[in-house]
Amino acid sequence: MLRNLIATLPLAIALAVPAVAQDSFPDRSLRIVHGFGPGGNADTVSRIMAEQMSQGLGEPVVVESRPGAGGTVASGYVAGEDPDGYTMQLLVGGHAVAAALYNSLPFEPVDDYTFLSTIGQFPFFLAARAGEYESIDALIEAALADPGSIVIGHSGVGSTQHLTGELLGLETGAEFIHVPYQGGAAASTALMGGEVDLIIDTGTVIRGQADAGVYDVLAVTSAERWPDSPDVPTLNETVAEGFDVISWTALGAPAGLPENVEAALSAEIQRVLAMEDVQAQIAALGASPRGSTGAELQALIERQIAVWTEVIDTAQIERR
Amino acid sequence: MQTQDQARTSIVHRATSGAVLLFIGLGMLAIGWDYPIGRLTQMGPGFIPRAIAVMICVIAVAIIIVDIADAGMDKAGGIQWRGLIFVSAAMLIFAVLVDLAGLVPAMFLAVVVSMLADKAASPATILLYAVLATGAGWLLFLVTLELPIPAFWR
Amino acid sequence: MIDQFLMGLSVVMQPEILIYAFAGVFIGQLIGVLPGIGAITAISLLLPVTFYLDATTSMIMLAGIYYGSQYGGSIASILLNLPGTPSSVVTCLEGYPIARDGRAGMALFVAAFSSFVGGMIGVAILVLAAIPMTSIALRFGAPEYAMLVVLGLLAASLVGTGSQLRSFAMVLVGIALGLVGADATTGYYRFVAMPELADGISLVSLAMGLFGVSEIIRNASNRTRTMTNISVTMRDIIPTRAEARSLLGPILRGSTIGSFFGALPGTGAAIASFMAYATEKRVSRTPEKFGTGHLPGLSAPESANNAASQTGFIPTLTLGIPGDAVMALIIGALILNGIIPGPRLMVDQPLLFWGVIASFFVGNVILLLINIPLIRLWVLLLRIPYQKLYPVIIVMICVGVYSHRTSVTDVVLTLAFGIIGYLMKSYRFEPAPVLLGFVLGPLLEDNFRRTMLIYRGDFAIFIERPISAVLFACTVALIGFSIFSTIKTYRRNVQTRGAHER
Repeated sequence: MLRNLIATLPLAIALAVPAVAQDSFPDRSLRIVHGFGPGGNADTVSRIMAEQMSQGLGEPVVVESRPGAGGTVASGYVAGEDPDGYTMQLLVGGHAVAAALYNSLPFEPVDDYTFLSTIGQFPFFLAARAGEYESIDALIEAALADPGSIVIGHSGVGSTQHLTGELLGLETGAEFIHVPYQGGAAASTALMGGEVDLIIDTGTVIRGQADAGVYDVLAVTSAERWPDSPDVPTLNETVAEGFDVISWTALGAPAGLPENVEAALSAEIQRVLAMEDVQAQIAALGASPRGSTGAELQALIERQIAVWTEVIDTAQIERR
Repeated sequence: MQTQDQARTSIVHRATSGAVLLFIGLGMLAIGWDYPIGRLTQMGPGFIPRAIAVMICVIAVAIIIVDIADAGMDKAGGIQWRGLIFVSAAMLIFAVLVDLAGLVPAMFLAVVVSMLADKAASPATILLYAVLATGAGWLLFLVTLELPIPAFWR
Repeated sequence: MIDQFLMGLSVVMQPEILIYAFAGVFIGQLIGVLPGIGAITAISLLLPVTFYLDATTSMIMLAGIYYGSQYGGSIASILLNLPGTPSSVVTCLEGYPIARDGRAGMALFVAAFSSFVGGMIGVAILVLAAIPMTSIALRFGAPEYAMLVVLGLLAASLVGTGSQLRSFAMVLVGIALGLVGADATTGYYRFVAMPELADGISLVSLAMGLFGVSEIIRNASNRTRTMTNISVTMRDIIPTRAEARSLLGPILRGSTIGSFFGALPGTGAAIASFMAYATEKRVSRTPEKFGTGHLPGLSAPESANNAASQTGFIPTLTLGIPGDAVMALIIGALILNGIIPGPRLMVDQPLLFWGVIASFFVGNVILLLINIPLIRLWVLLLRIPYQKLYPVIIVMICVGVYSHRTSVTDVVLTLAFGIIGYLMKSYRFEPAPVLLGFVLGPLLEDNFRRTMLIYRGDFAIFIERPISAVLFACTVALIGFSIFSTIKTYRRNVQTRGAHER
């Protein structure tokens, strides 16, 4: 009888352990990792989500910034982490861009991740120093007249902002110089200081100066005028027909997340996104709050990778 | 006769610092040789590393020359092995244990091992002190600061 | 402006707000004392608390953590040779020798007092000259930053006590160590011998290793190292009148330098403190005393880094641009509270703006009042025999370093740097320039690259732009002086040797 008991023991343990793990997720603090500098759009959205999620999950959620190379340093890091649900990544549209732009990445852009949900969508705004250019048309005219005279500052090589700038050049035929900075704040400082002539970035970066009248917001990159800024013309209607660039923020985790963990996290994310306060905060950052399922997010990313790949191929942008 | 021997070992001895530095510089050059340099206006990731490596080599040679010329240089001090071994052991034990066994065992054994350096300490003192130190550490790091490190193995 | 400041003061001097101000600076100080755990950790931990507070109170508390940690960092530097922040590295150079000589209490007092004056001058400049400083700061583009860093790196080779040639070599090694990891501009991995190095070498590992662990290795074997005869009376803590008079110049110079550098986004307290140190060494009539426990060498950097931590808020408050990662967190807290930082902050939210500035004033006073009595406590702690003390320090370093990136490799690296630092000293190489090169190297690469890109490789730009030209002239002058004084010393040595032989 003892022999039988011992024989069934491993089976009993094997059955018991997952059950214990299930009930105890999460039992320590979690992290949201992002690939951009502290204080930027990604960082702020991460903190909004982290704060609310820690209340819902009952464990602290900390935000970790691992900037570098358009977010790919962070992506590579998260892809290699344990799929135990304690490490999440705040993904941005740049993830799809990187997949299209880089010859070799230290991660698989789709296969290495479990996608959880989108958080919000947002366009980019084009800003110049107040009074320098009457309109986006005037700026493009100046760029066409003197190729290489207009300098665009962007928040990092391989970032969506950078590629959007390159795309602008291609669609209008204008030749710009694209200068990388460590994050949008640094590029904005450069614009203020006169080192660059134009920046293309999110509402978060530009808002403060725009409200104060230091910057003129010349255009927006979405196909239709953005509801929160109805006075800003689109590139689509002015200098580059068909121009439609919208970026997004989302949450993902390393591939191979256990189903129950994935379900718990997704449910929590949707709960947070339904909160009025959170929606107001995300809107204040210039994004339109919107959740999704993991599958929808994956489809979105795959679609965008295809789009950016085509853009890069057509424009013959050099891959890194 | 004796002074000649002394002078000979001294030269090799004197050139050691510069030689090590030169080795580092050449190593940097070798490892970074394949990094794309780009052009001056579009510097690749290899540009600055190579420039720095070359500068290190140049300075290393300068140091070798200056040192060899300076006949009155003091010899380098001896290495205190005891301190080195025990500090290394303590830190390595912490490094091994903290992921495997959690923060508390790691702190405890690190303290014990460092205290073993003192031959005069009795096992009772070491144990008592280690317990106190670990307790204080637990209070500070895990309770007050809530550092995300597991106290014991998961 | 003064009446606006007074208005701000009235906002701060309410019991509830004072409590949060106190909490902020107290926690900041505590964090600063602990090696490896920095202001970012503390602010991240407290960020959720700010969601339940109004914007003004949140910012007062978070700001308190920031400049409070500068006070705390000095304590660990002086007592244990553990630089809590990059700007505390220079404090180790003079403060630790003084402490080793048995006058730790005095070192702590001088440091606290210099920090206080520096902080106050920083606040004054913030109140009176924030806008003009901002417009000056905005004129610093890539060429200016590049030149500034070159000047800083040269000054860093002045920081060591040994030969300048060797110190400059160490600066280069520091830059080389900073190159390890992913190139921020292209993402290309450089010198990544193992995957754990892909994120680069951690500053905490380098600092704790080269300074803290190497010192422990040196002292662990030395059984005679106990601190007897430490007096704790006020008379021994307060410097003599002559000593005090010698500090006036360093404090004023340090505060000015610190205020200036603090206002430049991206450079901040680290550069400020050792520029102040290098300046003192240059203007001193007894430069050979530096590195042995020379008070002006302690007091100038202390004033500088506290002044810098106050004026560091200028870009944040006037432009909404974070000067460094910690500021960015604070700005994030503002955004989450519904306030958009930018040039309109002063106009739209005068109570917040001036309340925060007034809180700096109050916070510095609180810190001074906390620190003076604490000196006796710290000095008493030093009475513990070193054999019992250093195991605890080792554990503190291990936990601090580990918790930074949750990396065991970092702990091992710290040990490696400790051994290297220990060996270096035997071969007359100084560790401080390595750290400074490490911090400044990436800045140099970044800005040099950017200059070449924007100005199409035209080196003349460094001389064409006025500020850059001034910095270039300073650099040339510095090199000139160094060569000149080296030749002078060499000639003097040859003469004395000749005289002896005669």
